[in-house]
Amino acid sequence: MKREIKDKLLEGITYIASALSVLVLGAILFYLLTNGLHLIDWHLLSSNYYSSTANASVINDYEYVPMSDYSGEGIYSAKWGIAVEDITTSHNEDEISVVYVDPNSPFNHMESTVAGEEGKASSLSEGSLIKNIYYINENGETKFLSRVQMGDAAKLIGILDDQATGIVSCNFQSLGGGIRGSIITTLYLIAVSLLISLPIGIASAVYLHEYAAKSRINALIRQGIDTLTGVPSIVYGLMGVTVLFPITQLVGATSTSILLGGLTLAIILLPTIISSTEEALIVVPQSLRDGSLSLGATKSQTIFKVVLPCAINGILTGVLLGIGRVIGESAALVYTTSTVINDYPNLLSQGTSLSLMIWTIMSGEQPNFELASAISLIILAIVFVINIIVKIIGKRLARSFV
Amino acid sequence: MEEICFDVKNVNLFYGEKQALKNINMQLLKHKVTAFIGPSGCGKSTFIRCLNRMNDLIEGCKVEGEIFKDGQDIYSAKQDIVDLRTHVGMVFQKPNPFPMSIYDNIAYGPRCQGLKDKKKLDEIVITSLKQVALYDEVADRLHESAMGLSGGQQQRLCIARCIAMSPEVILMDEPTSALDPISTAKIEDLVLELKKEYTIIIVTHNMQQAARISDYTAFFLMGEVIEMDITDKIFASPGDKRTENYITGRFG
Repeated sequence: MKREIKDKLLEGITYIASALSVLVLGAILFYLLTNGLHLIDWHLLSSNYYSSTANASVINDYEYVPMSDYSGEGIYSAKWGIAVEDITTSHNEDEISVVYVDPNSPFNHMESTVAGEEGKASSLSEGSLIKNIYYINENGETKFLSRVQMGDAAKLIGILDDQATGIVSCNFQSLGGGIRGSIITTLYLIAVSLLISLPIGIASAVYLHEYAAKSRINALIRQGIDTLTGVPSIVYGLMGVTVLFPITQLVGATSTSILLGGLTLAIILLPTIISSTEEALIVVPQSLRDGSLSLGATKSQTIFKVVLPCAINGILTGVLLGIGRVIGESAALVYTTSTVINDYPNLLSQGTSLSLMIWTIMSGEQPNFELASAISLIILAIVFVINIIVKIIGKRLARSFV
Repeated sequence: MEEICFDVKNVNLFYGEKQALKNINMQLLKHKVTAFIGPSGCGKSTFIRCLNRMNDLIEGCKVEGEIFKDGQDIYSAKQDIVDLRTHVGMVFQKPNPFPMSIYDNIAYGPRCQGLKDKKKLDEIVITSLKQVALYDEVADRLHESAMGLSGGQQQRLCIARCIAMSPEVILMDEPTSALDPISTAKIEDLVLELKKEYTIIIVTHNMQQAARISDYTAFFLMGEVIEMDITDKIFASPGDKRTENYITGRFG
């Protein structure tokens, strides 16, 4: 009787434990989905984070031509050929966004009045946020319509349709809040880190497994590589900024840069790549090596023509794990790529990876939970897909030598 | 006068402290089939791997003595091991085709020697496959994976792969132990066919096989060669009591 109770008790504990883990995962997903899902759309992925402001006035020789019909979304002003709608930005502000501008509209025949670009052709583009408008009323006076006076989309169109006899100028802003720059930075980081860590990692694994004799020094090297896996990534970041920064200076970096971040990540990835490659090499049957060598192939021919092609699945697993690590890494990048969001990153500029961007937008004066959740969802989705691919490859690996 | 292929003199082999071969002396003749028989762990596989220096791959393995091939000691510092293995091919116990196409498997050796000419490679692949009587079976799927072949076909492919290098000697380390009787019979026929062109040294656990296909037989026991003679004589009237006991199945 006592044994039965103990048995049931232990069984219950395992149930509770697994239920707890599922609950935690579910809670995280639920939080992210409720907060961030509505923000995920093509605009988020493809546009700049910073909104740019533009000032433009209608060109002098603009002659009013009647507008064509429009029956799309938003509230349309048939008089001025512009359709607008109310939106809430990723920074949780209510704005009036342009959905459509007629080719004949005065808003389509403007020139920039921004300092430095005066006279350059400009137009109100779809997706812009209208900030203020100068218009001419029935009495021929120039009137200023501020963002606050506009109210919402319906009110703005009402004022323009009822009171305006001409448009003078307009101030508008691009929507912003996108993560394109961080996506590009993340891709740069993946490319740089893999380009460096893959050849070095594979070569070291080949040395350790194919060439190295069993000696104390090699055991030490192996132990060292295993230990590298456990070093906190912030320590790598410190090392990157002190040791690797001078190297990036040689190619022209003046500050911390994506290149520096990539180099640091390459070092972080090395142990992963080495151990996964080595595991793949262990699986390659010795009989294949013997077969190759007995045919008069040299050791390097054997490795490159037989052993490595057989190990390719395992190496790919390492690559994918590495990509996952790069996407998820943040601490090591704080010092090395900086935490400044950059819409137009290049190798020698600063920038943030997706994970680091979360840190940046959460650490300002107004933390943006929703955008952070949206980015987290995107990262989770990528990692999820990568994990599935790793599993599929793992299965293929297990099957290939039976 | 028979030509000598390998002249083995006073070979001792150690795995670390353990001595695996004790004072081996023998002469292996050209264009003959020589079989090594003996119980498991007697050193016959170890010895055959000495002949193309595959034992070099095993850590802690040390070979003493001399093995002359064409007047040169293959264990001297002057010997190019890779070159030696192009002349002394080997077929292993378990078929070990590379996980690539049938064609690539056979072209592997010549390609490693730097042969790139497509026509010559085609010719080598086809003649090698014909020599092992595999060509008709695989002619329409030369570019499919060799892993799809049956065990017996794989082993013949491995022999073809070996022949593609046109070696002088083919070492066979229990080539039929993983095969069914029909595949075994095919390989045995093949050995008889191949001995016209190649010197064949075969390790086998199967006494009937040794009796059927070999010209000479050496009996190994505990790392020593107890007796070596013409096969018929070994099986009909062995000179040593231990050989007789083994052959008649009293132990081993």
